[in-house]
Amino acid sequence: MESYLSLAIAILAAPLFPGIILKVKAFFAGKKGPPLLIKYYTLAKLLQKGSVYSNSTSFVFTLGPTVSLASALVVLLFFPFAGADPLFSFHGDVIVLFYLMAIGRFFTVIAALDTASPFEGMGAAREVFFSTLAEATIFTILILFYRLNGSLSFAEYFTGENPISLAGASGALLLFAIVSLFMVLLTENSRVPVDDPATHLELTMIHEVMILDHSGPDLALIELGAFYKLFFYSAFITHLMYPFTLAHGISNGVIFYIIIAIIYGAVGMTESIMARYKMNLVPKFILTSFALVFFAAILTMGVFQ
Amino acid sequence: MINFTEAILVIILLSVLFSLGSTRLLALVRIMVLQGVAVSLIPLFLKDHGTLGSGPIIFFQVMILIKGVLIPALLYLAVKRVAIKREIEPFIGYHASIMTGLVIILVSVFITNHLRLSLPTGQATLLIAAITTMASGFFLMMARKKAITQVIGYLMLENGIYLIGTALTKHSHTLYIVEFGVLLDLLVGVMIMGIILNNINTAFDDVDTTLLGRLKD
Amino acid sequence: MIEFVFILPIITGLVALSLPAPMGRVLLLITAFLHLPLSIITWMGKLTPTYPHLFSSSPEGLLILLLTSFIFACISIYSFSYVDETVIANKPVFNCCMMLFLGTMSMVTLSDHPIVLWIAIEATTLVSAPLIFIHRSREALEATWKYVIICSVGIALALLGCFFITLSMDIGNIDTSLTFSALYDVATKLDPLWLKAGFIFVVIGFGTKMGLAPMHTWLPDAHSQAPSPASALLSGALLNCAFLGIYKVHVLMAVAGLQEFSGNVLIGFGLVSMFVGAIFIISQPDYKRMLAYSSIKNMGIISFGVGIGGFALYGAFLHILHHSLIKSSLFLSAGNILLAFGTKRVQRIGRVINYLPKTFVSFFAGFIGISGLPPFGLFISEVIIIIGAFQQQHYISVGLFLVALTLVFAGAGRIFMSLSFGEYSEKIEVGERPLRLLPPYALLLASAVLCVWIPDVVYAAILDSIKMIGGTFHG
Repeated sequence: MESYLSLAIAILAAPLFPGIILKVKAFFAGKKGPPLLIKYYTLAKLLQKGSVYSNSTSFVFTLGPTVSLASALVVLLFFPFAGADPLFSFHGDVIVLFYLMAIGRFFTVIAALDTASPFEGMGAAREVFFSTLAEATIFTILILFYRLNGSLSFAEYFTGENPISLAGASGALLLFAIVSLFMVLLTENSRVPVDDPATHLELTMIHEVMILDHSGPDLALIELGAFYKLFFYSAFITHLMYPFTLAHGISNGVIFYIIIAIIYGAVGMTESIMARYKMNLVPKFILTSFALVFFAAILTMGVFQ
Repeated sequence: MINFTEAILVIILLSVLFSLGSTRLLALVRIMVLQGVAVSLIPLFLKDHGTLGSGPIIFFQVMILIKGVLIPALLYLAVKRVAIKREIEPFIGYHASIMTGLVIILVSVFITNHLRLSLPTGQATLLIAAITTMASGFFLMMARKKAITQVIGYLMLENGIYLIGTALTKHSHTLYIVEFGVLLDLLVGVMIMGIILNNINTAFDDVDTTLLGRLKD
Repeated sequence: MIEFVFILPIITGLVALSLPAPMGRVLLLITAFLHLPLSIITWMGKLTPTYPHLFSSSPEGLLILLLTSFIFACISIYSFSYVDETVIANKPVFNCCMMLFLGTMSMVTLSDHPIVLWIAIEATTLVSAPLIFIHRSREALEATWKYVIICSVGIALALLGCFFITLSMDIGNIDTSLTFSALYDVATKLDPLWLKAGFIFVVIGFGTKMGLAPMHTWLPDAHSQAPSPASALLSGALLNCAFLGIYKVHVLMAVAGLQEFSGNVLIGFGLVSMFVGAIFIISQPDYKRMLAYSSIKNMGIISFGVGIGGFALYGAFLHILHHSLIKSSLFLSAGNILLAFGTKRVQRIGRVINYLPKTFVSFFAGFIGISGLPPFGLFISEVIIIIGAFQQQHYISVGLFLVALTLVFAGAGRIFMSLSFGEYSEKIEVGERPLRLLPPYALLLASAVLCVWIPDVVYAAILDSIKMIGGTFHG
């Protein structure tokens, strides 16, 4: 019951938090900003509209949004929100899930290419390039967690008998993992300083340019998928920062959502105080995140045994 | 609860890695503030030192003041005075630098694991961090062109040496040994003052040590 | 109050900073001639240290102290005239730094505590950097920058070496005061692994300051850009002080029974330095740089001799004495040539024998001396080192040593000949002055005299310095 409830709350609450990012950015800019629920309004608005399809597109184009939302949703099923047992779990599920997200990206990319627009092809190339680099980081993080915890599933990471958390035995190493996971979060979810979701020039876009041709409900699905993905990464970081092992359902949930809000706030702050990197500096940024976890992984082999 | 010594060491390692990859001088100066404070905090958290008298406490506060405030302030002044806004153009690129950082830490782990037999117990991580910091400082001095980045590299080298001293020596001597490492900060200060006072900005286009290349054989 | 030996120049130096340049010059002279008797009194053992756990008088320290004091006295006479005739933007700073330099170097020679020694050597870097930068040209800035950066890295590594030595004390569970004299007594109980590591770092660290290749890169630049009196002081006194740091740790190694290890390290650095010096001398277009490379080579010889030990060790100590005297004399003569011709390029200078006949005598005699020919002392010291090396059966090393010596002779000879007898048709800028001639002569004379007759006290002092590690005169 608890599992269903926490999953339902997560699915419902996910579009709320991007509103926090907008609020933080507005605060830094000295503006009032849109209401917190702006993303719900946007979704409702988009869902009421009709869709426009180009004559040159095929069924692949319509497949993209659906698959990307579905993949993001499936990932949430496996994640132990606030320490509640996930709906599904098996040994090795993390690897499956990360590649499931890759399938979602693959379909977004293929839908972008299907439009035969040069801008979308460019965006797709960038998206694939950067996420390839980020994959190295993610899998080094998995290696690190395997060294620390000996398991390969989210449930065992966070609710098993030797949970991974900052307060644990070799918690200091998780500082590395948290920082680099935050960098991956920014990369994978197309945030500043890797990509700027608010930009207006197609040439400088990465993610936004890929979905230019989607409209109405399709766009709503893509947006929703993006919210879930961001929510998943934030939840991942939250679990690293605070252990939710004790069974205090309510207080766990409250703490969980507070920390999530803080992470979204941090994203907003990063976007407010940093400028976007030049394209050629982005690989360096991702490489730094890789180097950080690699550091940590080396240290587990050295002394933190 | 979280182990503070290890957390600080991880912060030091983080700062080392970021400094190898950072392109802007001001960012580098900020990283050095973090590193300086973290390095001066380390001795306070080491377990085997037991209770500290008032003398060492005052000394460590002075350390924090020097490494965390004074030297970075001078560096900041130098960056402003010399008006370097451009990114640093390195001899060795940033990707290669970060990769070198990884190699350095691998080697330091290797070295430390081989020395562990003759070490005071429980300070292996400290030694890894120390060797990494020192070697990366060396690397930064060699891999960057700007005079000010070389000074920052030297500062890192010096932080590393201070950490090695803290890791290796017991504080049983009546006269402190490790603490004299602070005198190296004097040299750093002199170098920065050299950059500031010698009007390098008027004599040169910028503080680029490739321009300091007239004396050759 | 043995500390007074280095406190005096430091105080007068600081006073000179506030005095106008002419008075500062006089004060420099006074300081030099107060320091010399003070050193002699110390030498005779009339002074006792106030802080015996920090300072004490060791025979090798006293030897170098007296040498430094004597050279400084000569240089102070020279610079009395020299500073007046060159354009120096800030003469009080020059006077001040010269005296502070003397003070810090005296402190090096008297310190008995590794950290105090280290501080003193660091201080020499700090106070000599303004001397190199005194002309404020681009080249001077570059030379100073290199000097400060490279020597700072060296000094940092030397501190690491000191850490390792204290660590070897901790591991051996030794609770004694951290002074060299106390460490010699307990040397065998020190942890040999960390002692070796410490020695390596100390050699690299202080070797940077001493000009051992491949850490020598600052030396030619600094020596060629500094004004000639400062170059003479750098070459004739500072390098010895850095050597003293290495030597003390070498003795510690020897007492701990690791002489073979430390000796081989020193032989290796020595041979490399000799070859680097020799190779760069051959086609050197700048005569002050040529002298600087010659210093590198001679430091290599000293380190080689000390590494071999025994009879060669005696030769190495003689070599220190004579090299300092002759090399500072040469730098002073080079200063005369620089004043007269206004350039350091060998090709633009010629006929020194016609224009500066008296300088020619000292310069050429210096060349004879530095090439290791009689009647100057380097002849004897090099012969002794070679014999010592043969006794210890280092045949290959001796072969390399001789090749290096020949290369240096050929390279230096070409430059000296070109300077003395080459073409030159323009007028010279400044003529000769007696005050600038006397000191090089005096220094050369001292070397020549010491070659044929060594006073018993000096002989005894050298034997005292080397007896700890089995150096003798009779092989």
